Amino acid sequence: MAADSAPGSAADELITAVIVDDHAAIAAGVRAWCSEAAPPIDLIDAGDRLADVWTGPGAAADVVIFDLELVPRRPDFGELRRLVDNGRRVIVYSQHTDDATAIKCVDLGALAYLTKREGPEHLVPAIRAAARGEPYTGPSLSGALVADDAPGRPRLSQRETEVLRAWFVSSSKELVAVKLNITVKTVDTYIARVRVKYANVGRAARTKSELVGRALDDGLITLAELNQTVTSL
Amino acid sequence: MSDGVEERTRTQLRHGLRIATLLVAGAIVLGLGQANMLRHLDAYEPALAQVAALAALGAVLAGEAVLLVRRRSWGRLRWAAIAVVLAASALSYATLPDGRTSTGVDWLFGAANWAGLVVLLDRPLRTSAAFLLAHEVMALLHLVLFDEPSRGALARFATGSVTVIGFPLCVAVAAAILRSLSAAAEASRREIEQVRVAEAVAAESHRRRQQRFAELSATTIPLLEGLADGSLRPEEPVVQRRCAIEAARMRRLFAESDTVTNPLLHELRHCIDVADRKGVVVELDARGHWPALPVAVRRDLTEAVLIVLATAASRARVTVVGSADLVSVSAVADCGEVDVPSPATPGVRVETLTYDDTVWMEVRWQPTPHPAPQPTS
Repeated sequence: MAADSAPGSAADELITAVIVDDHAAIAAGVRAWCSEAAPPIDLIDAGDRLADVWTGPGAAADVVIFDLELVPRRPDFGELRRLVDNGRRVIVYSQHTDDATAIKCVDLGALAYLTKREGPEHLVPAIRAAARGEPYTGPSLSGALVADDAPGRPRLSQRETEVLRAWFVSSSKELVAVKLNITVKTVDTYIARVRVKYANVGRAARTKSELVGRALDDGLITLAELNQTVTSL
Repeated sequence: MSDGVEERTRTQLRHGLRIATLLVAGAIVLGLGQANMLRHLDAYEPALAQVAALAALGAVLAGEAVLLVRRRSWGRLRWAAIAVVLAASALSYATLPDGRTSTGVDWLFGAANWAGLVVLLDRPLRTSAAFLLAHEVMALLHLVLFDEPSRGALARFATGSVTVIGFPLCVAVAAAILRSLSAAAEASRREIEQVRVAEAVAAESHRRRQQRFAELSATTIPLLEGLADGSLRPEEPVVQRRCAIEAARMRRLFAESDTVTNPLLHELRHCIDVADRKGVVVELDARGHWPALPVAVRRDLTEAVLIVLATAASRARVTVVGSADLVSVSAVADCGEVDVPSPATPGVRVETLTYDDTVWMEVRWQPTPHPAPQPTS
């Protein structure tokens, strides 16, 4: 898999991303954001042709930016599952703002779920995070995670909930840090922990096992916590 | 309450008239009619036909008695019962000895009319009248066609007809008057009710207008007065900000009376609309579910948004996070110093954070564990 060549070296090398979206304006806008980013990101436009993600230059892209609704009102969760199962790093870029869709995408193993109202200030960091195999949680997804009351949801600590909520509300990590009197790095840590908890209760997608493994290595979570989350189900 | 009493009185009156008519008919058919028939039993040929006719009339009266007890009307059986009565008449006349029409021997002449009336009492007057006429015509036909009527027989028939038609007709007229009275009473009751509702609606909307005016008078009226007498200058940013806040307050006030599924979001959209027109880009995002909020709480929750948006320079983010025990409304915008509102209801807290040129104002409402001390309408 070409996507496997990226981890570790992504920070130095040029990141390539492929976008699947039937709206030409969206693809053009994302291309502009990517070229203005520093360092720039190389964007391949697959239009609405899913085949271009699997073959040609799209197959070698580090990150897949995927419009969930190529067919209106029929979110293509199956294709998302196939992409994740094949080790692709997927960012779902959707016009949907409903919580259930967002959480389902996260459960299926998407590294980020962004709504099209969230602009380059979220999409560019999401692409960089995804190229490293790390999740990115935008404010909209953060709101969905806070409001999630499904029976199988992981148990979040009070502080994690507070951070998620503040991130959703303010859309600025600096503001969250000032408000809760913590550093921006700690804000990121709390958000990452929540994603690890979600990855842990979701199905065993490849990217998820990677996520959980990395979180253990980095000390984001401990083995004890991992067991605790599982038994809470 | 009183409507129920009136309705019951009307039903009781109708019921009483029905009982009285049945008793009269019973006395006439089974008392007088039967006695007359039995006295002249040997005059009929055959007598059995007269007994059958009496039995038919008796059956109709028994049917009425059963329906009366069950408080039901004849319905579709009505016309069958009338046919039975008329058939009994025909049977009786066919076996009546010659020259005896409207004498004591003709017992049915003064009895069948009551049996028919009992069945038709709740129908319009013309139905009863038509039946009585049919009954009369049948007797007259018998008199004219089968007897050779003497002057005396015709006179006897004429005087007999007065009671045969007159009394039942009186009862039918009384029933009709009773019906039209209750219909008129019902119509005027409905009219009175409509007038009362209209008055109540007018009084309520007047009260609400006055209340709104009182609410605006504290903040809007001084602003307008200041603008009018020149003490407030429209080009000053402070005055412009006050105007924006008042405009949003008025929009919120108008939105409060709308019937929508989510009043809080509805009112927020109206507050945001004012900022939108100034060219501020506002994002509104809501998550979670929350219970229905009283107006006073909604006002406290939207007040922060209203104040922050009035001073926002270019962009703002308004969010609602709700659950059963906490509703939080936040406004984050690029604005300078803002006045922090003081919430009117207990359980509402305001937090303000200023960082660089960004203001983050959050209003949280936590319902008190005990029911709210003053319910708001």
